[in-house]
Amino acid sequence: MRLLSNTATLFGKELRTEFRSRELLTTTIVFILIVIVLFSFTFDPTASESRRFGPGLLWLAFLFAASLMLQPCFLREQTNDTLAALRLAVSDPFAIFLAKLAANTLFLLFTELVMLPVFAILYNVPILGVFPQLLLVFFLGSLGVSVSGTALSAISAQARMREMLLPLLLLPMLTPVLVASAQVTVGLLNRSPFVEWKGIGFLVVFDVVFLTALWLFGEYLLEE
Amino acid sequence: MKRYAFCGTLVVLLVSAAAYCSLLLAPTESTMGSIQRIFYLHVSSAWTGLTSFFVAFLANIMYVYRREPRWDWLGTSAVEVGVVFTSVVLVTGPIWAHPVWGIWWTWDARLTSTFILWLLYISYLLLRTLVEEPERKALFSALFGIFAFIDVPLVFGSIRWWRTQHPQPVVMGGSGSGLNPVMWKVLFFSWFAMVTLMILLTWSRYRLEAMRGDLDTVRREAEVS
Amino acid sequence: MKNLGSIFAAYAIGWGIFFVYFITVARRTVALREDLERLKNSLNRGK
Repeated sequence: MRLLSNTATLFGKELRTEFRSRELLTTTIVFILIVIVLFSFTFDPTASESRRFGPGLLWLAFLFAASLMLQPCFLREQTNDTLAALRLAVSDPFAIFLAKLAANTLFLLFTELVMLPVFAILYNVPILGVFPQLLLVFFLGSLGVSVSGTALSAISAQARMREMLLPLLLLPMLTPVLVASAQVTVGLLNRSPFVEWKGIGFLVVFDVVFLTALWLFGEYLLEE
Repeated sequence: MKRYAFCGTLVVLLVSAAAYCSLLLAPTESTMGSIQRIFYLHVSSAWTGLTSFFVAFLANIMYVYRREPRWDWLGTSAVEVGVVFTSVVLVTGPIWAHPVWGIWWTWDARLTSTFILWLLYISYLLLRTLVEEPERKALFSALFGIFAFIDVPLVFGSIRWWRTQHPQPVVMGGSGSGLNPVMWKVLFFSWFAMVTLMILLTWSRYRLEAMRGDLDTVRREAEVS
Repeated sequence: MKNLGSIFAAYAIGWGIFFVYFITVARRTVALREDLERLKNSLNRGK
């Protein structure tokens, strides 16, 4: 299981790099907070309106934050010229992607879970009763965002106008994730909460399809 | 050149014949009246756009594995032509919707999915302008094209599911609603005519791209000598 | 025929889009062919 051990090592490196400075996590959390506050000016945040609009806006905030957060993913390797070294260090280039997407999923999930109570307090939506289910949809959604985002950031890192390019490429592609995640979250934040299993199904399918695509084509994304 | 002119004439004839069938031959729809005739142009363009993107998908896969420039030329031509057809879908939809519903846009499932499709492939074209090195440009756009195409069924599926939660007026009626056999024949004939148009446009665009490739080769020879 | 204007607009704009695209590609092809000829000629002269 060279793949798993390589992935674990690289995953550790990703975590160490981030926790040394914590700049990615802190800026992402503050960005989501700003967006959540700004959203309150766009509609009347009563309890019933918040239940209807809140989840969609929350996921939109996560998507925007992710398209910014995923930029340094491969850019870091490019500026420090470490990509060649990484490719030599592992037998399967998929390990590099697995490590990065695992790290990105974790970082996204962390920022989402930090922001969730803030959102619940500001918009008066109850979350405690459905917390495990929310965790599930947040995990599946973040995984979907990370899989596509990590792949596309490998492309945008080598293009001009990369700050605009990544959101441009990523956001239309993530439409199914936005639709499914928002719908499931609306169901969970309802007055009588329920789990929208079809939405969960869509997220699982999205994650599996894009993980498979990344496994098949990832090595070409890392070509010199 | 002769072959090209012949095909061009054939395409013009077919498209005109399809238009004649749509506007005059096909029976008038009972509920909406004559405005429904836009349906033949709208739906055939939509199907042709998707066909074009599928051709691009195959060309993209061929490029990733073979790395021959002609697959890149075909891929980018097919995407551009697909975007043109999809633009026609997005324009004819509101023109149909406005007299019937009184509003230009209804966020119905198919039109919304088509809009996302259009945005996805516009991004593909933008990506090509932002990567300078030709082989990297070809590889990255091929890979993005592959990811984009596998996303298409997911986009259509998720938006259709979402729309069952929030029903809106459906442009063009539900799938296959009240279509009699003559209408189906006219629709398939329109699609056939549109596909020949797609082939002509893709061929024209491919020639342009191939010529550009030749120009680059000659320029490089000039620099060497 | 009701809504004749809209039917006409839809078909006209639809075909218009195809036509404009075709003309754009044709123009660029002609211009590129001229460039190619010019470059080939200057190469031959150089030789």
